[in-house]
Amino acid sequence: MKRSLVMLLVAAAAAVGNRADAHHSFAATYLETQEITVEGELVQFAFRNPHSFVQVTAPDADNVMQRWAVEWGASGQLNSQGVTRDTLKPGDHVIVMGSPGRNPADHRIRMKTILRPKDGWKWGGVVD
Amino acid sequence: MVARVDAGHGGNVATHMTPSLMARAVLIVIAMLVSRPALAQVDLAGMWASPHHQNWMERDPGSNPVDYLALPLSDAGREKALLYSYSQMAQMAHQCSLYTPFYSVIGVSGLKIWPETDPVAGNKIIAWKLSGFNFDVITIWMDGRPHPSKNAFHPYSGFTTGAWKGETLITHTTHMKAGFVRRNGAPSSDQATMTQYIIRHGDLLTMTAVLEDPIYLTQPYVVSRIFRLDPHANIRTTEGACEPISEVPDLDVAGVVPPYLPGKNPFVNELTEVYHIPVEAVLGGAETMYPEYRRRLKETYVRPDKCVRYCGQNAPGLHMIIDGSGKPQP
Repeated sequence: MKRSLVMLLVAAAAAVGNRADAHHSFAATYLETQEITVEGELVQFAFRNPHSFVQVTAPDADNVMQRWAVEWGASGQLNSQGVTRDTLKPGDHVIVMGSPGRNPADHRIRMKTILRPKDGWKWGGVVD
Repeated sequence: MVARVDAGHGGNVATHMTPSLMARAVLIVIAMLVSRPALAQVDLAGMWASPHHQNWMERDPGSNPVDYLALPLSDAGREKALLYSYSQMAQMAHQCSLYTPFYSVIGVSGLKIWPETDPVAGNKIIAWKLSGFNFDVITIWMDGRPHPSKNAFHPYSGFTTGAWKGETLITHTTHMKAGFVRRNGAPSSDQATMTQYIIRHGDLLTMTAVLEDPIYLTQPYVVSRIFRLDPHANIRTTEGACEPISEVPDLDVAGVVPPYLPGKNPFVNELTEVYHIPVEAVLGGAETMYPEYRRRLKETYVRPDKCVRYCGQNAPGLHMIIDGSGKPQP
């Protein structure tokens, strides 16, 4: 039993070990010469590698509510810029500006700036 | 023939040696005098930063979609490349994948290199290790071991052996997974192999990679990169943990299949519209690698009035020419 458990742990470690991100080309992913701004409620903040993501529910240009996936920097990059996993919370009202994804159906944005009007917290910068 | 060997303690030992035995003894002595221990080879250890002076677009923000210019793609390689959609990378099954060892010369990061020494012999280097960003740690075995069976598992790191030729470390990598030769989906197959030439010139390191792929390339694809020794580069020894999540919820819906169908890639003409590069050049092929091809286009090429993409934005320290003045921007 104990041996089986050890084998299981080894197999699990092999399955999750040595993984990291596939660093995609931003130019191939986003329309980097265009900008889009959405304003709405933050529903999830995944502070992680390879890239952090902020999920925001906000209306699109046709006033239809969408869940926007906003791509940000890796956790280490953001940490060095003062952003931690506790910086943003679900329910925060935020205004996000960035480059729209090439496929409109993805509802995806590359983060350029984010503002939380309630306390004036904001971030703007470049991450890769 | 009689050879006298000093046996120490003031005594002499006389030994009869044949000429061939004598010749062998002389050769052994010469070999011992001229051979150098492994540590006398070039020391590659250190943090090697990537200054991005070469091909900034490819190494930093990433290449444009459907930019296969100067890639020796086969027809199969081009077809596969055109199916690629960036949305694939955001799917949970793919977002934590690593690139192949070829990414060490096309990726964004610098390199950390360190030796592994024989625990018994001490100063004998049995392997060099290379780490960076987005590829698994590469082990260059220096102990003469053979490559595994062609049916062996292909890990993210591939399998690499190396040997010194003068002051150049020549490595050979097999057993790579299928991957990319450019970050816009231009593919390499799991049958690709790579030969690298690693040369240190003081504080600079040149790595020249020659990728050969019988499936997706028609000729070897050669990329050369220079790295600069930088003790402050702080390059990671192992890849950071990657946590798969639903990055883009609209992609994690049943029935969503990101790759484009054949003939449906919407970005085929984008480089032609933005940079006026003919679409047959954009789609690559071996002939687009050579200067002769550029000369052929020169007669008909009309440069756009203004650069609208990759004009030096977000490239600290790189002053690029972005207009017809021919002068770098301040």
